[in-house]
Amino acid sequence: MIVHILLLYMRHIAEAMVSVIAFSMLFHAPKKEWIACGISGTIGWVIYCILHDLGCSLILCNFAATTGLTLFSRWMAAYRQAPVSVFLVPGIFPLVPGAGIYYTAYYFFMENPVKGSERLFDTMAAAGSITVGIIFGSFLITGVLQRFHIHRAGSAGKS
Amino acid sequence: MNPEIPFVEHLPAERPEHVGVMQLSAFMGELLLKNGGEIYRVQDTLNRIIDACGFPNHSVYVLSNGIFITINEGMPDACSAVRYVKLGNLHLNNIARLNQVSRDICDGRIGRDEAYRRLQEIEKPIPDRKLSMALCCGFGCGGFSVLFGGSLRDGITAFLVGIVLKLVLYELDERQHITRFPTFILASFFLTLVSALCMLTGFPDHFDLIVIGSIMPLVPGYSLTTSIRDFFNGDYLSGLIHLIDALLVAFSIAVGVGICIKLISFMGGRFVL
Repeated sequence: MIVHILLLYMRHIAEAMVSVIAFSMLFHAPKKEWIACGISGTIGWVIYCILHDLGCSLILCNFAATTGLTLFSRWMAAYRQAPVSVFLVPGIFPLVPGAGIYYTAYYFFMENPVKGSERLFDTMAAAGSITVGIIFGSFLITGVLQRFHIHRAGSAGKS
Repeated sequence: MNPEIPFVEHLPAERPEHVGVMQLSAFMGELLLKNGGEIYRVQDTLNRIIDACGFPNHSVYVLSNGIFITINEGMPDACSAVRYVKLGNLHLNNIARLNQVSRDICDGRIGRDEAYRRLQEIEKPIPDRKLSMALCCGFGCGGFSVLFGGSLRDGITAFLVGIVLKLVLYELDERQHITRFPTFILASFFLTLVSALCMLTGFPDHFDLIVIGSIMPLVPGYSLTTSIRDFFNGDYLSGLIHLIDALLVAFSIAVGVGICIKLISFMGGRFVL
């Protein structure tokens, strides 16, 4: 099934990988973590696309995608001993509502406040669900990591 | 760090040891905040460093743009430090390197002099290779424009717009008197203008997708995530500071793009939109 999904979303995966890696370079991510940053962004975007194709709402898509991506980032941070921001910040980029900001500005400046407010609400909802997704993901993985004692005892980089 | 304050370790030996520890940790915290570390992490790191240097009687309080440290409170040799830190740009590599330094201090692998030397090394800004950074920005913008449903032609146009955008951002960075929000307004105005000019050539297909792809480097994803994680860790004040920053940046992008679209439509460029 995973192979099937990979084939189906090949184009999305390739595009998300290229753009997220380019952005992680732009924000000076460490060289050896570039691939992991790209994978983190790709996971988020693929979950988003799959749920979107299944007909889920914008809020659910963003929430599930961010949760998945946060789980991956936290796991990666514990595994590679790097701060979690390195994986989380580039990974979140495909989901951040840039399109929402554009359309909100467009409709408000083109004097169509009805559509503008609609878009504004969508943008806020997307940002909100990303928020809740990160919090939920952090909450989940903190419990899991503590349960299995994956944290190194007494280390400075508690991620 | 303020250049007039020499590192205490290199002064005559009458300065007590804990002042050196305090300055080391204040320097560490300042660098972490400047490069975009989250509050909980900074506070945790400083506590661990001071603990590892053998001073259990301490208190650390960190805000988005300030650090307060006290060691040996209530004793005759009490000392404290207050640092003001400006909100800086995100630099993931520096955060990773600082993380490594703090691990090494806490595990006892390096002494304080060595740690201080490494912090100074991190503080030195490495000038960006502007052209390769512009290319990265271009690839990112082009990729996102295609990712959000644009055609290959849109992607190529967004690639060019992204390169121009990064060069404009560098140009704006060099002018010290232009503050944060005008920078975002001007940059988003420019990118919309360049996209509109590209539309005039008739090569790309969708104006909106090009602009959406190109505003991605400006969109406040980092402020948003940091603010959420501050809230999650209970640092509400710092979370609010970052949240307001994210909202204002989003607002300035919208204003920049909107003004340009309005201008274009005034000049009768409806066919572009």
